[in-house]
Amino acid sequence: MALLEVKNVSYSYDKATRALKGVTFNVEEGEFVAVIGHNGSGKSTLAKLLNGIYKPSAGEIIVDGFSSADKNSVFEIRKRVGMVFQNPDNQLVASIVEDDIAFGPENLGIPREEIGKRIDFALKAVGMEEFRKSSPTHLSGGQKQRIAIAGVLALKPKILVLDESTAMLDPQGRKEIAEVVETLRKSGVAVIAVTHYMDEAVKADKVLVLDRGVIALSGAPKQVFSQKTALDKLGLELPLSGIIADKLRARGANIPDDIISEEDLLGALWKL
Amino acid sequence: MKDISFGSYFPAESFVHKMDARVKILVAIAYMVAVFLVSAFHFLGFAACLLFVIIATAISKVPFMRVLSGIKTIIFFVTFSAVLQLFFNKQGTVVWWVITDVGLINAGFIVARIVLIVLGASLLTLTTSPVELADGIEGLLYPLKWIKFPVHEFALIMSIALRFIPTLIEETDRIIKAQKARGADFESGNVFKRAKALIPVLIPLLIGSFRRADELADAMDSRCYACSKTRTRYKKMKLSFRDLFGVLFVAGLIVGIVFLNKFYLLQGLAQIAGAL
Amino acid sequence: MEVVAKNLTFTYSAKTKSLAFKALNGVSVRIAEGEFFGIIGKTGSGKSTFVQHINGLIKVQKGGGALFVGNHDLADKKCDYKSLRAKVGMMFQYPEHQLFAETVESDVAFAIKNFAPNTPTEEINARVKYAMELVGLDYNALKDKSPFDLSGGQKRRVAIAGVIVAKPEILVLDEPAAGLDPKGKREFLELLNKLHKDFVKTIIIVSHDMNLVSEYCTGAAVFSDGKILAVGAPKEIFSDKDLIEKSGLDLPLTAYLTAKLREKGVNADNDCTVDGFVDSVCRAFNIGGKEL
Repeated sequence: MALLEVKNVSYSYDKATRALKGVTFNVEEGEFVAVIGHNGSGKSTLAKLLNGIYKPSAGEIIVDGFSSADKNSVFEIRKRVGMVFQNPDNQLVASIVEDDIAFGPENLGIPREEIGKRIDFALKAVGMEEFRKSSPTHLSGGQKQRIAIAGVLALKPKILVLDESTAMLDPQGRKEIAEVVETLRKSGVAVIAVTHYMDEAVKADKVLVLDRGVIALSGAPKQVFSQKTALDKLGLELPLSGIIADKLRARGANIPDDIISEEDLLGALWKL
Repeated sequence: MKDISFGSYFPAESFVHKMDARVKILVAIAYMVAVFLVSAFHFLGFAACLLFVIIATAISKVPFMRVLSGIKTIIFFVTFSAVLQLFFNKQGTVVWWVITDVGLINAGFIVARIVLIVLGASLLTLTTSPVELADGIEGLLYPLKWIKFPVHEFALIMSIALRFIPTLIEETDRIIKAQKARGADFESGNVFKRAKALIPVLIPLLIGSFRRADELADAMDSRCYACSKTRTRYKKMKLSFRDLFGVLFVAGLIVGIVFLNKFYLLQGLAQIAGAL
Repeated sequence: MEVVAKNLTFTYSAKTKSLAFKALNGVSVRIAEGEFFGIIGKTGSGKSTFVQHINGLIKVQKGGGALFVGNHDLADKKCDYKSLRAKVGMMFQYPEHQLFAETVESDVAFAIKNFAPNTPTEEINARVKYAMELVGLDYNALKDKSPFDLSGGQKRRVAIAGVIVAKPEILVLDEPAAGLDPKGKREFLELLNKLHKDFVKTIIIVSHDMNLVSEYCTGAAVFSDGKILAVGAPKEIFSDKDLIEKSGLDLPLTAYLTAKLREKGVNADNDCTVDGFVDSVCRAFNIGGKEL
């Protein structure tokens, strides 16, 4: 059984429009899944369904054996699925870093000594140990977002959902988050990243492309990003390396169609 | 980049700063009680209170001018109260024009009372960060849990409010700039015109705050808010010898004032007896 | 109108020594009329402080150097900021920070009502219509809608219409494309390109995105720790890899690949745009096809 099973899930905000229609996929332990799609494709709705902020109108989500259909399991699901949002400022509840990270464990009623250990663990995971007593106001966007991730990690989740968590960050901040994601994957935490940065999606194990509430494409990044015509129709662009490769190919250069990173592109250029 | 500080906290490492916030709040309240205990016509008690503040300020390493600047905000109020007493108190004998001796004494009395209370309060906020103050209030309210007062929720509200003040100040600054760039003028015109000019700032700020509140609620839910009936608290406040010292210090002040009051009363009685 | 800064210096919290922070430290630069100028540098390098000087949102400090925008001397206390701001439009990162009115029409009209309060209603409406159509918004369909009911992309267009309605000669944008998805970003930049061609003379853009700067800008200045380390065409700036690294920035992909090719002896000289890069590769490797 997979760690997360999304089975034929639909969701409607109102009767007229369905934001998601019959979405099905699995996520395994330590897997990194990127969810992309243009604005309004349903990707943020999907994120909010994963930890029970929204409830599926139809279908079922099973996290580590707990089903979204069971009313009593929403808290169990939330313990297992941590969620980080777009604006780091709107996720922090306390004026001192360690107090903020303590918020989650406090909610679970975890004893004081254990909370201290979890703060150590979470800060270490995001590389922010030295800021334990700082005020988040004085941190950069990337650092604030790392604190937001630490606040979620203190709950020891098995899955971390990043809902456009890098959209408001500068390139430096995005690099910092990418490093944290890499560390988490290695430690066995599954990461589901909703993003519109294609260069983030290429690093995933699996890419899901949403369009008007359905999964239009899915597979390994190379598989997904080699389908330029399909992506065009979905209102998505290739990563910049892919765009350049595509233009070269149009000029007659002998370049493979699965170029998704600068390394790929350089490799292909050497072969010219 | 920009340092936005709010409140009047003066960061320093001092005996007073390190005291437990709960105790500091209690000491400040006790001090204010002491100020109120000083009976009329007995300014020696005020001298004692002033000495208390001066000693506390000296220990706290906060510059005296910073403590005094707390009076600036209430100067109008103080003058107004004093003027009322001076001109409208008809008791006692007239010293000059309409001013009576009782009016004069009462005015001085009121000024001394307000100023001393404000000095004490500003020393408290200068030596205690808003976060510590909030924690202190929470700690003091804790016993109210027994009468089902939602202490925890109250504390969380205070914490979130403090957390968002700098964020909202920053946002206000950005909105003001965006509207100024479109020619908005906040500096000229009469009161009504200026109030109207604030609408293009207040509306985006308000809408932004609602959006923030919405997102914060989702983030708190995601972090298992209300997942468990028993909530623990990570932060723990510890009492130390400093707190004992503070309590003894203020207790001494109260005892002294009560004694002075009594002494004055006895002296007065003796005078009356002598006159008889 | 050109922008000329001479030794511009600015310190935040200058009064309190312990908090003082020098955001600009002797910035000298000339931005000629007609440029699509990029201001680049990492967060905290002083680029936002600099552009906010250009329309007087941050005032030149005493002894803080000189700044001229056209005929306006911004270091002069008597500088007429209102007429300056009418000529220098500025748009910030989030449209949510400026939208406030009940209808799109009155929100867009805000700047005209401020800068030229005596403009007759018909003219205001005509100018609002023009500005909205210029940014690709359907005037009749949207004018009576609440700006808060629009999609993110539409909000951004309303916001920019609300700035250009004052007919600025210079348009300053602070991170205008942040948070947009790739397609939205491309559309927005195409819009800026169009505005630059037909409507505003100079565009000054603050951005973290080097690919954007190399693709669209005619010139750029690299900010680092309150100083300008280099000014020039993207091609020149991005050919100095060490300087870009020293400023905490990344090379745009085209410049990175060009540098790699040159290391191996391939002559791939180009202007750092995607099409320019593709052309240079085709030339270097003798690949035919139609020039882009």
